[in-house]
Amino acid sequence: MIAVELSKMFRRPRTWVTIGLLNGLPVLVAVLLALTDLAPRPGEGPPFLSAVLTNGTLYPLAALAIVLPLFLPIAVALIAGDAVAGEAQAGTLRYLLARPAGRTRLLVAKLVSVFAFVLVTVLVVAAVGYLVGQVFFEVQPLGGTALSGTSLTPAQIAGRTVLSIGYVTVSMLGVAAFALFFSTLTDSPLAAMIGALAVLIASSLLFTLDAASSIAPYLPTRYWLAFVDFFRDPILWRDIVRGLALQAVYVAVLLGAAWANFATKDITS
Amino acid sequence: MVAAVAVLLALPALIGALPASDAGTSAPDLRDRALASSDVAFTGYAQAAGGLTLPVGDQLTSVADLLSDRTTMRAWYRAPDDWRVDVVSATGETGVHRDASGTWTWRYEDDVASRAAALPLSLPTAPDLLPSVLGRRLLSEAADGELSRLGAERVAGRDALGLRITPSDAAASVSRVDVWVDAESGIPLGVQVSGGQTGGGEPAVDTSFLSLDLVTPAASVTAFTPPPGADVRRDQQQADLLDTGRQYAAVQLPATLAGLPGRAVDGTPGAVGVYGRGVTLLAVSVLPGRAASPLRDTLVVAPGAVVDDLGVRIAAGPLGLMLVDNGNRGTWLLAGTVDLDALATAAAELPAPPRRGDR
Repeated sequence: MIAVELSKMFRRPRTWVTIGLLNGLPVLVAVLLALTDLAPRPGEGPPFLSAVLTNGTLYPLAALAIVLPLFLPIAVALIAGDAVAGEAQAGTLRYLLARPAGRTRLLVAKLVSVFAFVLVTVLVVAAVGYLVGQVFFEVQPLGGTALSGTSLTPAQIAGRTVLSIGYVTVSMLGVAAFALFFSTLTDSPLAAMIGALAVLIASSLLFTLDAASSIAPYLPTRYWLAFVDFFRDPILWRDIVRGLALQAVYVAVLLGAAWANFATKDITS
Repeated sequence: MVAAVAVLLALPALIGALPASDAGTSAPDLRDRALASSDVAFTGYAQAAGGLTLPVGDQLTSVADLLSDRTTMRAWYRAPDDWRVDVVSATGETGVHRDASGTWTWRYEDDVASRAAALPLSLPTAPDLLPSVLGRRLLSEAADGELSRLGAERVAGRDALGLRITPSDAAASVSRVDVWVDAESGIPLGVQVSGGQTGGGEPAVDTSFLSLDLVTPAASVTAFTPPPGADVRRDQQQADLLDTGRQYAAVQLPATLAGLPGRAVDGTPGAVGVYGRGVTLLAVSVLPGRAASPLRDTLVVAPGAVVDDLGVRIAAGPLGLMLVDNGNRGTWLLAGTVDLDALATAAAELPAPPRRGDR
């Protein structure tokens, strides 16, 4: 069943159109930067974008930072929100459940395919970012400079980039869990997606308020940018560890709720 | 199920409320322990929140930001002249590396590494807000009579013993300073400075370690070499200060100001004077016209500013700031933790600065 769901997802043109559109913005930014030579000052604009003119190997990170605040969560919420509600809306959910496979297995299959989408999307953004970085910008074989002013070898940069990609993937799993949970609540994929995005927008807004500082550590978007901390020297693990733990709690609780809801729900469509 | 969730939700509050064990240390002994802790190496993570809005416009923005924003710091401390403090922001950082002869300041945002010599007097920077540094500085001149004990609390997950300074000077604008001293090592773990009209009883400056390990960091962590391609400079602010001091070197500052005794600070330029003791301090300096006029323009229109024959003065929490104009002979800048009346008294006692040519 997992294989069926996976092949269904990756055979849909919509999946690849979403991933393709997602890569449009970083590529456009790279073209504009290469043409004008006008990089934002360090510390301004998306993280790492300032450094790419002199070191193209950092572009996968800049690409992830560009899509992280909005486009990446939208894509993930779109696919995850569609997982169950899409079947319900199309009227195919009860036929799926008529198979002797059980609801839990269907939900697990949907879950695996959504998580696979998250991983593939993040990897594609990073890979396209890598190609774009190699083509448009100077590539320094010497490595680069960490935020702390120390030099990093190319191997260190590569290792920390891989860690960052993993961290961004885990952050997106939280978004997927929200959308998948909402997807079991409603028959409208749009409502599930908007619900997940509403949570993220509310979280981003509350994070900027000093008055909400007491709940800030529990906001789902609180530690998203912590992948930057991989590029401090020594690595600042504090926010990264907290971010991973927070996402793990959100994923566990929301998937548990999604399972409890879906396993006991009356399927009417 | 509901009970389990309730227990989980209550857990952070319960752990926070765990009673810290209070040793029967007396206040002067605790101060001495804190002052003796400057040799204790540690690695820590601290946050400082300032509630002071300094109306200084484009001048001294780094100082103003420091006192009004939330500053997150990573600290590695090996010895008094071998440490590193990084101010961490979401997308960048500023690191100060101290070595035997001075400091390197690395600003990722500007790709600049600047070198400054170690001076006894300089503008406050982020490392000065580290609880260990600020706590020891504020305690260093506290008299026994000004100290009292506060009980114990948990700070950074460690037992911290409370110590309160209530300044005895009449001119003091700081109403109290609470220092939380680590029971094990003596390192100040948290400092809250209150005073002035900050409203709501909120401290004007509140800085605490969120985590602290008594492990000695590696020497390679505190060392600094400017990265290839970075812009390497000499600290301009420091150069300006010394330059101004030399220009007005002939000025004679009074021995006391507003009842506060002058203090000798080695290596300060002649036209800079420091008065007072402990947490009640007043600094006086001549400002050249190009620096003074934009500052005066900002101060005059700031809410709460007092403008009269003496000049313009304003209070931001416990911090008082005053400009005394002397026409084309330069401007006195008075700044310190004294109240507005003391600033006015001090202004009346100051001589006019000499002309620029009089050396």
